[in-house]
Amino acid sequence: MMAQEVLLDCLGEACPVPLVKTEKKLTTLAVGDILVVQIDHSCAMKNIPEWARKEGHNVEIEEVDDGEWEVIIEKVK
Amino acid sequence: MDLKSNKFYQQWFKNAWTYVTGAILLSLFQIVTLVVTGKPWGVSSTLTNWGAWLYSAVGGQVDSWYYFSSERAQITLDAGFFNDAGSMRNLGIIFGALLATLLASQFKFKKIKSMKQVIAAILGGLLMGYGARVGLGCNIGALYSSIASLSVSGWVFAIFLFLGALVGSKLLTKFFM
Repeated sequence: MMAQEVLLDCLGEACPVPLVKTEKKLTTLAVGDILVVQIDHSCAMKNIPEWARKEGHNVEIEEVDDGEWEVIIEKVK
Repeated sequence: MDLKSNKFYQQWFKNAWTYVTGAILLSLFQIVTLVVTGKPWGVSSTLTNWGAWLYSAVGGQVDSWYYFSSERAQITLDAGFFNDAGSMRNLGIIFGALLATLLASQFKFKKIKSMKQVIAAILGGLLMGYGARVGLGCNIGALYSSIASLSVSGWVFAIFLFLGALVGSKLLTKFFM
């Protein structure tokens, strides 16, 4: 099966909602899948990547607009 | 040279400073605040004064209220907004935060996601405001400044702040997930 890419819209949501939503969403995905979390709350740009890296996943952050980011997480295990 | 890729721009304005840097700066400036104004750093009691001034501006009277009945409170209210160190500091916090987001080009008007968010924000604000007054301080005046002044009350505040946060996060995951 092909790895899938899933979008998680967390725009307009403050901490810790984006982080908890990301944790929950990631458990439903398979290894190799990509989760793209859309955020506009700057502290989520810190705590989501921190958590995901600690869990051992591959993480990249992209600034898509002023005050808007996509945290791209590749589920590794 | 492109400013956005400048190393110092990135370091000072774009990327978030570390918690340690923030902690050291807060510690230094709260000492400056105490020395210059003669009072420890606080935020929310100033907001209460703003409320009193607003209420007076529309013809209200707060002189007889227990909260504003002390001589010190009366002096602050009589001196007015522009002579109040706390008010100037709170304005500084607001404009400083705005300046920081603008310099990092991260300013954005965030859309309101749901009615639920609006109700939670209003309820949360009211509860925090009420709690800060009956608790004689918020997490700055009653927690941060108390602990910095070596007062036990700050640590007691911390314990109950933690318990409140536990309950709050349970409610948050129940209603917002």
